[in-house]
Amino acid sequence: MSDVLLGLKNLKVIFPAQQGIVRAVEGIDIDILKGECVALVGESGCGKSVTSLAIMRLLNTPPALIEVESINLGGDEITKYSENKMQDVRGKQISMIFQDAMTALNPVMTVGKQIDEVFIKHNKLSKKEARIETIKALRLVGIPEPESRAKAFPHQLSGGLRQRVLIAMAFACMPKLIIADEPTTALDVTIQAQVLEVLRNMQKSHNVSLLLITHDLSVVAHTADTVYVMYSGKIVEKAKVEDLFREPHHPYTEGLLGSIPRLSDTTKHFVQIPDSVPHPMFKPTGCYFHPRCKYATDICKEKMPPLVRLDNGREIRCYHPINFSGGENNE
Amino acid sequence: MQKSFIIKRIIYAIFIFFVVLTLNFFIPRLGVDDPAERYYPPQGNMSDIEYEIIKQVTREQYGFDVSTFKQYTNYVEGLLRFDLGTSFRTGNPKVSTLIAERLPWTLVLSVSNLVISLCIGLIFGTVAAWKRGRWQDSLLLNLSTISVALPAFFIALILSFYFGFELELFPAYTNPNMVSQFDWSWEAIKVVFFNAALPIISMSIGGIIGYSQRTRNSVIAVTNEDFVLTARAKGLSQNKVLFKHTLRNAMLPIVTAVGMSLSGLIGGAVIIEQIFNWNGMGTLFLEANNTNDYPLMMGIMLFMSTIAILANLIVELTYSLLDPRITVGEKR
Repeated sequence: MSDVLLGLKNLKVIFPAQQGIVRAVEGIDIDILKGECVALVGESGCGKSVTSLAIMRLLNTPPALIEVESINLGGDEITKYSENKMQDVRGKQISMIFQDAMTALNPVMTVGKQIDEVFIKHNKLSKKEARIETIKALRLVGIPEPESRAKAFPHQLSGGLRQRVLIAMAFACMPKLIIADEPTTALDVTIQAQVLEVLRNMQKSHNVSLLLITHDLSVVAHTADTVYVMYSGKIVEKAKVEDLFREPHHPYTEGLLGSIPRLSDTTKHFVQIPDSVPHPMFKPTGCYFHPRCKYATDICKEKMPPLVRLDNGREIRCYHPINFSGGENNE
Repeated sequence: MQKSFIIKRIIYAIFIFFVVLTLNFFIPRLGVDDPAERYYPPQGNMSDIEYEIIKQVTREQYGFDVSTFKQYTNYVEGLLRFDLGTSFRTGNPKVSTLIAERLPWTLVLSVSNLVISLCIGLIFGTVAAWKRGRWQDSLLLNLSTISVALPAFFIALILSFYFGFELELFPAYTNPNMVSQFDWSWEAIKVVFFNAALPIISMSIGGIIGYSQRTRNSVIAVTNEDFVLTARAKGLSQNKVLFKHTLRNAMLPIVTAVGMSLSGLIGGAVIIEQIFNWNGMGTLFLEANNTNDYPLMMGIMLFMSTIAILANLIVELTYSLLDPRITVGEKR
């Protein structure tokens, strides 16, 4: 298992609230290999972003309560790091790309200065040296005229350029892992494709691992190698991207794939998964997905199905997996 | 910034200036039948006709013999020659001379008050925001509740009583020789410092708490912004995140508040000055009011409003320098 870059084991995140306890993340494991792009897919509120912030150890505690068996980064256990040591990890070994580049950039500081900071902190460069590196980084992500753009304030750039600035910032020190939290959600479709292309190229050419957090399956199909499907704080399915799209095993994944509108479809109305995600404070008994699942039986209402590892490396949490040749899994 | 915008703002400021000057002129005259009344000598054994003549002479002497409108045009004419007029006081001193005499003493109080309130307020507010929900924060919350119920003059009375009369640490009344004997010597500065201590403290307690509360709220609002998370995700230290990202953005509303308070600097604090017998602008204005000294009243009010107009103009014109997102006068 030496090629595993990030090993996350049994992460639990709880937010105490006035009316009860919000179990945002309920014991998830994620392995990211070196140079691999892993997608974490799920609806809003299923705990994707909380997971990413927990890996970076950026969740404020309190209010969050985090319990984790291990976060192993390239052989080092970062759960035991002090806050100071963690600051050296952030930006240098793991960095992050946020969803909305408008609000994720400081409005009163030029974008160049904001990237300079990364070089000054981690590579101990002077301001002048940092600016040279910043311009290189901006050029790498395909920003035209990087010298003058570095002097611009965020509001003077277009949405696509701002997102590229964030990507340049994340890749500045060529970290081992980049966590991209919905990097294209705030962009329109044509710019989305460009930004994804830049992200994918940077990741491949510098052999960086990428944890892509998204709810957009078309982004997953184009970018990811391995997909984790998350539902209400739990991983329900893990598979290679081709396997997942060819034959999804979990009914939720099937529903997600089925709800992508297709031109060939002549029925002219959206297919959707009935009902909505359970409130994180009032999750159903048994399998969290059973109220919305058309295959659900009595056992689904009573017991949470275990996460079962299959021979081909896939993992599934369901009593009645579909498209499954090995017969039904009754544990 | 466009030139036309600057010119527009300046023309607007001049317009406001004339409105203020007109109001300044007419408001004190509303509701007073004969403004010269208190300057008439006692009738004594003069006959009514003689006394009428004396009254007429007095009115002429103070410029009340002509119609109110004529008085107004005379006043504006004087202003255009940068002449604020002559006070009704004995010796007929120039209004501008009286203001120039008192202004520095008011500035001693108000500028120290602003500097102290701002510096301590910023530090305390930032600490309270940083330690949100802990004792530092609840202390600030409780203090601001109390300070609402404690006006500055009440604090001044308490301080004057305990530190002035009981403990005799600081003078409870301003030394009357302080102004006349001031000669920039080290000794004289020390005397001013001792006399100003209690008034400044009583003025700045409310200011400190006000600026702390403002700073705390502003810092907390900015702390929840995404770019602060970005800064932390870059691996910046807590201090760097606080000073370079959070505070710079949190300062914007504070700077506006300070800009707006600039005009208050010269007005003086009437009640505080009275309590400590401090001869500043506030006392001067009160004296003018009590003696129907119209030129002096109008002079002080006009001076204050002019500073207010200028301060607003400067805040408006410089705001874009502080916040690059704001481009004044340009449509985006």
